[in-house]
Order: sequence, then structure tokens, then C-alpha cells
Amino acid sequence: MKIHALIRALGLSFVALGVFVSACAPAPTASAPTTEAAMPEVGTPEVQATQPLAAPATGGPLTVLEWSGYELPEFWQPFAEQYPDVEVDFSFFADDAEAIAKLQTGFDVDVIHPCYSWVGQYVEADLIQPIDTSRLKNWSGIIPELAELGQYDGKQYFIPWDWGYETTIVRTDKVQEVPDSYLDLWDPQYAGHVSVYDAPESIWVVTALALGLDPYSTTPEQQQQIKQKMIELKPNLLNYWTDYSEIVQLIAGGDVWVASNAWNDAYVLLQEEGIPVEYTTPKEGRLGYVCGYVLSSTAENVDLAYAYIDAAIAPQSMANLSNLYGYGAANRDALPLTDPEVVAALELDNADIISRTYFYKPIDAAMRDLISGIWSEVKAAP
Amino acid sequence: MKTRLRVAILMTPPTLTLLALFVIPLVVMALFSFRAGTFGAQRDIFTFEHYRAYLDNTVYHNLLLRSAWVALETALYSVLLAFPVAYYLAFHAGSKRFSLLTLLLVPAWTSYLLRVLAWKIMLSSGGVFNAALLALGLVEEAKPILLYTRGAVIITLVYVWIPFVALPIYSALQRIDPSLLEAAADLGSPPWRTFLKVTLPLSLPGVLAGFFIVFIPTLGEWVTPMLVGGVSGSMYGNVIQDQFVRALNWPVGSLMSLVMLGFVLLFLLLFSRIGRLSDLAGV
Repeated sequence: MKIHALIRALGLSFVALGVFVSACAPAPTASAPTTEAAMPEVGTPEVQATQPLAAPATGGPLTVLEWSGYELPEFWQPFAEQYPDVEVDFSFFADDAEAIAKLQTGFDVDVIHPCYSWVGQYVEADLIQPIDTSRLKNWSGIIPELAELGQYDGKQYFIPWDWGYETTIVRTDKVQEVPDSYLDLWDPQYAGHVSVYDAPESIWVVTALALGLDPYSTTPEQQQQIKQKMIELKPNLLNYWTDYSEIVQLIAGGDVWVASNAWNDAYVLLQEEGIPVEYTTPKEGRLGYVCGYVLSSTAENVDLAYAYIDAAIAPQSMANLSNLYGYGAANRDALPLTDPEVVAALELDNADIISRTYFYKPIDAAMRDLISGIWSEVKAAP
Repeated sequence: MKTRLRVAILMTPPTLTLLALFVIPLVVMALFSFRAGTFGAQRDIFTFEHYRAYLDNTVYHNLLLRSAWVALETALYSVLLAFPVAYYLAFHAGSKRFSLLTLLLVPAWTSYLLRVLAWKIMLSSGGVFNAALLALGLVEEAKPILLYTRGAVIITLVYVWIPFVALPIYSALQRIDPSLLEAAADLGSPPWRTFLKVTLPLSLPGVLAGFFIVFIPTLGEWVTPMLVGGVSGSMYGNVIQDQFVRALNWPVGSLMSLVMLGFVLLFLLLFSRIGRLSDLAGV
């Protein structure tokens, strides 16, 4: 709703120019995007006046199934400039499972923003269609390794957008030695001060890597071994963390010394607060996730969807993502526009950082059921 | 005829509501528990496989028993703590009765989540409990001793439930005819015996109602264990929630919900032998 109001306000600003911008400014949370996003738009009406053909309104509204927090106009500004009259409807989900559930139960959208390890399930269930990358003018800047991830049967289904790390954060002032392997989560010296992310896939990969197994190719015996290992971790744990703010508070408060699967932004935030933390690189490698855009197989606004995705992978949109949220951008051309501090903190300029990171791989529905079932049993175990 | 019509008119809205929002969804859930999968082709296959796998898996049975134990403890402590409050309100509060009753209910007006989070802060290593223990020298380092345990779940839930348990007990106590108490006193019964022989038995319907008001929802509780229960405080409701939300395994989630429903009904039957169900309804 906030976004609708914002778009409408932006539209009106064509008429009233800066007047409305300042009127909108006191609106909570929307103030920063409004002023920033509106600035270049002040110039567009003139372009439109001389070239009436430049931006015809073509239907819509475009519907985007999005993570909450990613609807900021900074992330798709070229689209708003190209189609000022097209409304963008955002619908939100809190995790990938919820997005799949919404789509499977008949919720029609144009563009979806899943994470990579779930894309296989989208393809399997026929929820998305291949994307013709020649229609995306910003495609050339996409990091090839990430682009490759999004291919199924030789077709590009997934346009990578944001990526980030998931690794262990350690309170360096509380521990005797900093863990250098996922296996150290089991080390009794951290007993009662370890927290792991309450997500079946994450804990599965961490446990398998700790045991030296390949998380994506296991025998039934190995699966039992992983389950047993997960149960053995329980005495060492303080809790399972479920959301970002929770784990940040627990680390900052000193109750959690070793937190697995923490995201970049948690580290950035803790460091800013002056808390002595290390964002470790376990010898098995940091885990990494990639999320991005896919085109729904029932999309009604295919042309608009292409324009939206293209706007999202534009260098400035992607740099805005890194600068605002501290996540990695899939477009290399965004690097020169990114805040050097963010680049340094995330080692974004490190050429082989992508290849050194252990990215989550796609898993099919059957494997996901197996992992979720095992995780439920682990949680239910005394 | 006229009364019948009036009854029919009065009964229609609640009947339809119950039918549409309770009975039909329950049937849908029961059907879902036989489906092989949540979506796609799997959805149309009917199978007993989930039931077989569930019955074989003792982990979930044990978890259900542990959750029932948590619910039982919570209900018991809530009743024990709420009874004196209700007793005071009914017999000693006098004209302040109404304001005190309101005060008792005021916390319930704020968000449930807020109250749980408040307990999370109080039980944490920087909270009042740890500060007190540290000051008394009972612990050496600030550790969240109580937080993220089954104990934390019970403490939080008891706090949340006390007002709701106090109400039915209060109303039961209030309905006790004072002349009965006077008669007992006249006949030389000491106050404690009057309490045991007159007050307590007459308040039992309220006590049982309060007990079940706590026991039933607590058995399926998942928010509180998720926030303060940590690793050992996980309850059956958490696993059900995981099945629906994370694992997208609606059939197994439905099955587990049905098992819990059956379990609650079993308890109700068991307890209805102690105090008749009609007594509960009469409160």
C-alpha cells in the first residue's frame, strides 16, 4: 500500500514537480526513496514533452511476488521512468516455501523473486517460463558463474540479482579460539552459546559439510549419519535462530558466541555497533545464496515483466542494493557505483570470491521433503 | 411454533459459521491427510502411507506426550496461582472488586506477542532474574539460565493465562450462597474445614473450566516455545507449524493436527468422568 501511494505521488510530481515531493517527505519510511527516486524524474517530463512516443503506457498493473523490503523504487527505477503510468503491484512472502505455496494455490503474478535453490522446483512444477536474455539490455554485465546457475535444459529460467554469504559469526572476545570449520559448532568449549539457523536446508548443508559429505549426493546411511549428527548438536545449542534481528540481538547481548549461517548484513550491523565479531571463512568454504527474478508461466504482462527485470539488473539499481542492504550484486557493472566500504567488507572486488563460495544448489521436491522430514524429527527428538 | 421459529432464527448464524469455518475445514483437513503430496499430481493420489509412517515414528509420539506434560503443568500452576486471586476478589475485595478485576485483565489487552517478548527480556542474561542471581552470588557469570528451556515456556504461559483462569473460578466462587458458609461457621467448623468441605467443592466447576481453558490451547501452542523455548522447549505445535509452513507437507501437517485433536478429545473424556461436562458448560 505504501508503495502504491508512493507511485501515485511520483506520478503527480510530473505535474507539480517538486511540490509533491516535499509534501510526501514526512511520510514514514517512504521519505528517503521519494526524494531520491524523484530527482531524476524531474527531468523526464521534458523528454516526454518533446518525444511523445517515448513512454507509452502499456497495460498493467505488473504484479511482482517479492520479499518484503525489496519493493523500494531504488531497485527498479528505470522501469518507473519508462512506464510512469504502469502500476506495480507488490505481493510479499517471508520465505521461499510460502512463495511456492501461494503460486501453487493459484495466485497469478508476472515476476517472482525466488532464491536459486528453489528454482528447480518452479521448473519442475511448470510455474515459470524460460527468459530470452537477448531482450535484457543489462544482461551483459551479469557475472557468468551466476548466470550459468539459472539454466535448466539449456534454457535460462532465472536471472540472478542478489547474492550473499551465509557463514559463522564469532564473538572474538568471548571464545578462546575462533572456529575454522563447521565441525567446530559441535565443540563443547562453546556449549550453550551456539545458535544455528532454523532452516532445514541450511542445517543440512552445514552438517553434511562438517562430516565431509557432499550435501547434494547422499546415501540413505549417510542421511541417517547426518540426522544423528544434528541430534548430537542439540546439547551445544542455546537455540535455533529464526530471524535476522533475533540473532543480531543474541550476538550483541553476548549470549551467543558462535552463530551459524549468518548473513552479511548481520555482520555489517554488528561491526557498526562496535561489537568484536569475526565473519569467518570455514575451511569448507563460506556458504552462499543467490536469489533473482523468474518469469511466471501465467504472466499476463510479459513485455512489462521483461522491462521490470531489465530495470532491476541495471547497474545503478544493483549498486543501490549493495549500498542500502549490503548484499552482493549479480551485475559486475554495479561495482564502480558501489560504496567502497561495502565492497571492502564483502570482498566484492575479489575476483575469485564467487568460485570460493559454496553456493546452495537446487534440490527437488522429494529431496526437500526428505530434508524437512529429518529436520522435524531432529527438533522433535528429546 | 413461534418459539421454534425463533430458535431456528437464532441458531442459524452460529450453525452456519461453525459449519463453514470449523466443520468443513476439519473435513478438508482430514481428507488432506490422505493425500500423497501437497501440490501437483501427488495431490490427487490417496494413500495411507503417511499414517503408517507416523505410527512407526515414536519421536512424534514422545513429543506429543512431552507437550501434554507441559500443558498439564502449565494448567496446574495457572489454577494454583489464579485460585487465591479469584478467592480474594470474590470474598474480600468488597467495593474494590470491579477495579481490581479490571486491573487483573489489563495486561490481556496488550498484544500477546508483546508479553511473551517482555518475558524473553526478563529471563535473558541481562534480565532481572539473572541480575538478582548475580547480586546474590548464586551464579558467577551472566547466562540465560531460564531462557530457552521448557521452564521458560511454562513460566511465560502461566503468566499469560492467570487472568483467564481466575475469571471462571471467580464466577464459581461468587455464586456460592454466603448462608452456606455462615451455616458452617455456626455449626463450629473452623475456616480451613469450611474451605475444604464447602468452598472448594462448590468452586470445582470453575476450577475445571479454568484448567481446560489453559490445557487445550497450550497443547497446540507454538508461538511461545518458538520465542522462549529454544532447543529443549520445542512442542508438538512447532512441528505442525514446520510441516505446513517450511516443509510444505500439508498432508503430514493435517495428520498431526488430527492426532492432536483426538488426543485432546481423549483427555476431555477422561476428565469428564471427574467433573461432568455439563458442569463445565454451566459456568
